[in-house]
Amino acid sequence: MSNDHRHRNPAPADVGMSRRSFLRTSAVVTAGLAAAVASLKPLMEMNDFPTAERFMQKYYKEMTPADMDKVIKRIENEVQKQYGIRPHVRDLKPMDGVEFAYFLNLTRCIGCRKCVHGCVAENNQSRDPEIQYIRVLKMPDGTLDPEKGQHNYDPPKVPEKGFFYMPVQCQQCHNPPCVKVCPVHATWQEKDGITVIDYDWCIGCRYCEAACPYWARRFNWTKPSIPKERLNPNMAYLGNRPRRQGVMEKCHFCIQRTRVGRYPACVEICPVGARKFGNILDPESEVSYILKNKRVFIQLKEELGTSPRFFYYFDV
Amino acid sequence: MNSEAKTSFSLIGMGVVFAALAVAFASKPVRHVSLPPIPLVNTNFLSTATVRQAYPDLVRAKADLSQFDCYLCHDQGKPPKLKFDKSGNIIVPPEHSDIVMHHGTHGRNNNCFNCHNETNLTRLQTRDGREVTFSNSQLLCGSCHGPIYQDWEAGAHGRTSGYWDRSLGPIDRKICVDCHNPHAPAFPGRKPAPGPHLLHPVKTAAVKAEPSH
Repeated sequence: MSNDHRHRNPAPADVGMSRRSFLRTSAVVTAGLAAAVASLKPLMEMNDFPTAERFMQKYYKEMTPADMDKVIKRIENEVQKQYGIRPHVRDLKPMDGVEFAYFLNLTRCIGCRKCVHGCVAENNQSRDPEIQYIRVLKMPDGTLDPEKGQHNYDPPKVPEKGFFYMPVQCQQCHNPPCVKVCPVHATWQEKDGITVIDYDWCIGCRYCEAACPYWARRFNWTKPSIPKERLNPNMAYLGNRPRRQGVMEKCHFCIQRTRVGRYPACVEICPVGARKFGNILDPESEVSYILKNKRVFIQLKEELGTSPRFFYYFDV
Repeated sequence: MNSEAKTSFSLIGMGVVFAALAVAFASKPVRHVSLPPIPLVNTNFLSTATVRQAYPDLVRAKADLSQFDCYLCHDQGKPPKLKFDKSGNIIVPPEHSDIVMHHGTHGRNNNCFNCHNETNLTRLQTRDGREVTFSNSQLLCGSCHGPIYQDWEAGAHGRTSGYWDRSLGPIDRKICVDCHNPHAPAFPGRKPAPGPHLLHPVKTAAVKAEPSH
């Protein structure tokens, strides 16, 4: 059989490679390889390869408490290694009979942006580049169209005549478009109304950023940098633990505070008391009082049917 | 052109393109847009202190209150005399020069004894004659500002901090004068904290050229 085969082979002159075709092929192959290597070069700048432990980590909703304990240990070790501070990381679950609602009084807000920076300090956002969850829009009187808002105002004094200020952050929708588009279920809505992100499950495709009508989601384009004296060691798994490059983040109503009964950082820092937060299922809470007694409410872009848990109102 | 020549021509062409790309990629490191470093935000903007430090705060902090002892200067049982200029505005005496009288935009609220008790300077009084202590001053404010007082009682007006869940911890409520200066209650304007930092430098000229709509 093999003999037969050899006999049928064409003449050696036809098989062999001419000098010209050898040079040509090898030049093309070398150039192609070089190009491929060069195009992978950015990988060489990657400094945050997942450890085996993180790589093998289970999906948040499938983890047993023992799994979670291990993960929390790992996160605490990683933070300690990077910042030299032992954090207190917790996996806080939603409370029973609690649904959060947020009310922002547009009559009171003076646009001082203290909430923006209170949030950054509480939630361990990157400082350079600085990621801010809250964007305060300077709006001309007489419109609620966010497209008319100015983002970069910087006058010597706020408030300015003829304008009002509208802080926008994650609206914690009942019907969140960002959750629907996530291809890996790394973001979901919990029963207390907070839409959370598992930073270890996020693949950084930014679909959610594109889907969100409120510009609420932020992407870590670079490795986040936080000076260690500004690191907040009180952390939650789904909340303010430090993020990696290439993952999404957003406002989570300060899970590490609100799920142990405290007010979010932006509420506590607001100098004019424009921000109100609480359990809407509790008829005695201040948010229930506001919903019962105030008359003009705005859910931003309500025509989209997202049904935010974040209400703007006026003192009328 | 026969097919072999065509193939070799395109292969050489691709080889040249690849080689050029390889040189271009390898010679240039990944391009970082160099932006000025972002300074850390001033810690003043991170303070949760109220707009104003109030008398009850000072009492709690056991501060030096000698300047608040009315009867070091005033005579007991003798109501102080108020002076007004020709247009009816009150003249604030130099001893009280820190007080700016600007309560209300109408300018008529310019009599100390609209709120202070003239016969007992350590007390306040409402317009219907009820005496109010300094530590309960919200009752005096509420005697005119009823709806806001109602909102404040329900937690809808004013600063709140601490615990929204009262079963887990205390809530910290502020009273009117913790934030508002009773002599000039409107908040003074303040410098806003830094806004968003952009990943790319803004071309201001291009932004200006954009037609407004």
